[in-house]
Amino acid sequence: MFAYYFKLGVRSLRRNPVLTVLMVLTLAVGVAASVSTLAILHMMSGDPIPQKSTRLLAPVFDTRPAENFDPAGERPDEQLTYIDAGNLLKSGQGVRRTAMYGTAVVIEPPEKSLQPFWVEGMAPTRDFFAMFDVPFLHGQAWSEADDTRGADVVVLSREIAEKLYGDANPIGRQVRLLDAPFTVVGVIDKWAPQPRFYSLQSGNKFGVSEDLFIPFATAIRHKTSLNGGISCSARTDPGFEGILRSECTWLQFWFELESSADRADLQTWLDNYAAEQRKLGRLKRSTPNALYDVPEWLVQMNVVGKDNKLSAWLAFGFLALCLVNTIGLLLAKFSVRASEVGIRRALGASRKDIFRQFLTESAVIGLAGGVLGLLLAFGALALLSMQSRAIAAVARMDLSMLAVTFVLSVLAALLAGLLPTWRACQVTPAIQLKSQ
Amino acid sequence: MEIRPILSSLMRNKTGPILVALQVALSLAILANALHIVGERRAAAARPSGIDDEQAVFAIDVNHLRSDGPEQELATQNREIATLRAVPGVVSVANVGQLPMSNSGWNTSVAIERKQTRESAVASTYTVADSLVQTWGLRLAEGRDFAPGEFIDVPMGSRETPRAVIVARALAAKLWPGQPAVGKTLYIGMGEEAMAIPVVGVIERLQDHSARIDERGEFSIIVPTREYGANGGAIYTMRAAPGQRERVIRDAEAALRNASPGPVILKIRTVDELRKKRYRADMALSWTLVVVSVLLLLITAGGIVGMASLWVNQRRKQIGVRRALGAKKSDIVRYFILENVLITSAGVFGGVLLGVGLNQLLVSRLEMARLPLGYLALGALVFWVLGIVAAYGPAWRAAGISPALATRSA
Repeated sequence: MFAYYFKLGVRSLRRNPVLTVLMVLTLAVGVAASVSTLAILHMMSGDPIPQKSTRLLAPVFDTRPAENFDPAGERPDEQLTYIDAGNLLKSGQGVRRTAMYGTAVVIEPPEKSLQPFWVEGMAPTRDFFAMFDVPFLHGQAWSEADDTRGADVVVLSREIAEKLYGDANPIGRQVRLLDAPFTVVGVIDKWAPQPRFYSLQSGNKFGVSEDLFIPFATAIRHKTSLNGGISCSARTDPGFEGILRSECTWLQFWFELESSADRADLQTWLDNYAAEQRKLGRLKRSTPNALYDVPEWLVQMNVVGKDNKLSAWLAFGFLALCLVNTIGLLLAKFSVRASEVGIRRALGASRKDIFRQFLTESAVIGLAGGVLGLLLAFGALALLSMQSRAIAAVARMDLSMLAVTFVLSVLAALLAGLLPTWRACQVTPAIQLKSQ
Repeated sequence: MEIRPILSSLMRNKTGPILVALQVALSLAILANALHIVGERRAAAARPSGIDDEQAVFAIDVNHLRSDGPEQELATQNREIATLRAVPGVVSVANVGQLPMSNSGWNTSVAIERKQTRESAVASTYTVADSLVQTWGLRLAEGRDFAPGEFIDVPMGSRETPRAVIVARALAAKLWPGQPAVGKTLYIGMGEEAMAIPVVGVIERLQDHSARIDERGEFSIIVPTREYGANGGAIYTMRAAPGQRERVIRDAEAALRNASPGPVILKIRTVDELRKKRYRADMALSWTLVVVSVLLLLITAGGIVGMASLWVNQRRKQIGVRRALGAKKSDIVRYFILENVLITSAGVFGGVLLGVGLNQLLVSRLEMARLPLGYLALGALVFWVLGIVAAYGPAWRAAGISPALATRSA
């Protein structure tokens, strides 16, 4: 029977084209608005590294002075001092660990015809690449020895390698940066986890990742300046060395654990470390030391913007309006077919049969609305992408969102169709037949 | 005015009117909140930065790839400033540490007494080696600009107390409410190591480098200090003669490249671009909300027209009978318009409640601002007018029904 009802539904669409167009359009616009805003929210709150997101942990200490302490009012400082980062690196805790900071450097291309240009880069320790599953196109991460002594080696992104060397394999070639010749040891493939969870404290939360990686020790040796935020709450000695010795926070740190069950052990170690530091006169505040795994980190760093949530809520309100509008249109559509219903009922159809028939018709409208809504949603996402590069990186539909479009559209149509369908079932055959 | 017959006929057939009233309510609730947010964002994006005639002002970021040491860097910077001053069409040049609305700069804790343990405010700190008041056309509300002897060059990291400070008016009002700020002492940092600086001037307005939305967006100070020696590059902000900005930018770039012995990287930022970039997301949200509002109105209008046409069709016989009994065309039109106004009013009433409820939700969950009642009142007016306009067509068609045809059965 459903196939028959389905065919009836499709036929009836053609009977009153104006009404059909209005209904499908209204539903499509509502669905498009809701799905496009929802897709952005979905991508923004997605897990960027699902295979190990509970095994990667970020530590947070409070190294600020005891004065000016407002436990309720302040945001915690999510970056680390050089002292703490160094100690944590040496700790041997977890399977792997990495410290990093964002830098911006000028590349002097080997081709004299190309002008020097800025690139955004990261200065992590070697384990960064293994910890975050960074794919390599050519070569690999620098060696342990290079990492420890701060050798002049560099890993480039695919785009920059192509810009500098074309299609050739650049491993072993030299490139000049920070006023010194650096050797290329690796080229990474396309890698842009959304959000850029590993370094949310500096740079964009979404969008493209870094173009260049140099060892942490190398960046420190060259006194490379920070491309990010630094917070100094006490007096610091002059120069770059002064910052290294100070309580200024400017570094990011991650641990990787064998399994998420080891987290309690790491927390204990962290608390012991903090207690030791307190004896040395640091960490004067009594704030608890925190550990965040990737999903908790994303919440802590407020990754999903309030404006995106606002857009999604208003879009769903708009869908509700479209739904009410569609109820009215469906009422109009079904009410003119009272005589048809009367004849069917007189011939023996039960109320349930009529109910099923008209509900199926609503579902057909829902499907049509879903198709048009999908097209409109792509358009809406394209328009929303113009907001910023960060939004453009997340304004896309994945398979689950495609499914959601159709499910939402059919559900909305079914919901809207409930009242008109019920009305249609209430038709008394006798009255309808009489007025023929 | 036949309100009772209208009401009783509405009561008998409730579905249609309820649907229309519900649409009006939902639309009003969303429209009022959406337009409020649009208004807020546009207002935020239109805030003046304090720079006079922003069209004429831009900045060049200069980075030298080779460094010959701190003293050489300082000499190079001074040379570059002289070079830039010599470019025709340049009204003024200043070597500054950060730009407003750039999302890049320095925040410092400031206090009014050394013994404080809590900061009085956080101020965005503009370091400068020349007159920002002149280059950016900042208006002095009290006091004076820096004197030539007050500018100092400080090697990177060594903390030397600035000799003077100029404070923005909003910050002065927060630190010393009701008193003149000139002559007071501002402390950067707190306790023993705080730097005590005399305030010599107060400017009307200078936005901080993040152009924050609340009152802190104008907490700025200017100090006549230049830090050098980190080879971090220099920012030169310049004012071009009116209408000549593009040419001056090209000439200034060329002059700097020619004057530089080694490789140099230049980046131009105009204040227009900074403003556009800072408010890009807000403006995009406003446009999205405007589009949604227009669609809302269209859909609601469509709903009202559709419903009204449907009723007219359903009541052809009644209308015909009324006309046959002597009602004029205008009576029929008035009847339908009145009916529509009643339904819209019910919708508006519901919409006001829903709108306030939605706003409560936004305030508590998304930290939005409270909705002023004016938006709801304006929205109500819009929907009343919309309702009347939308119902007029079907009402006129109803009046045009010929009594003879309508009273004929079937």
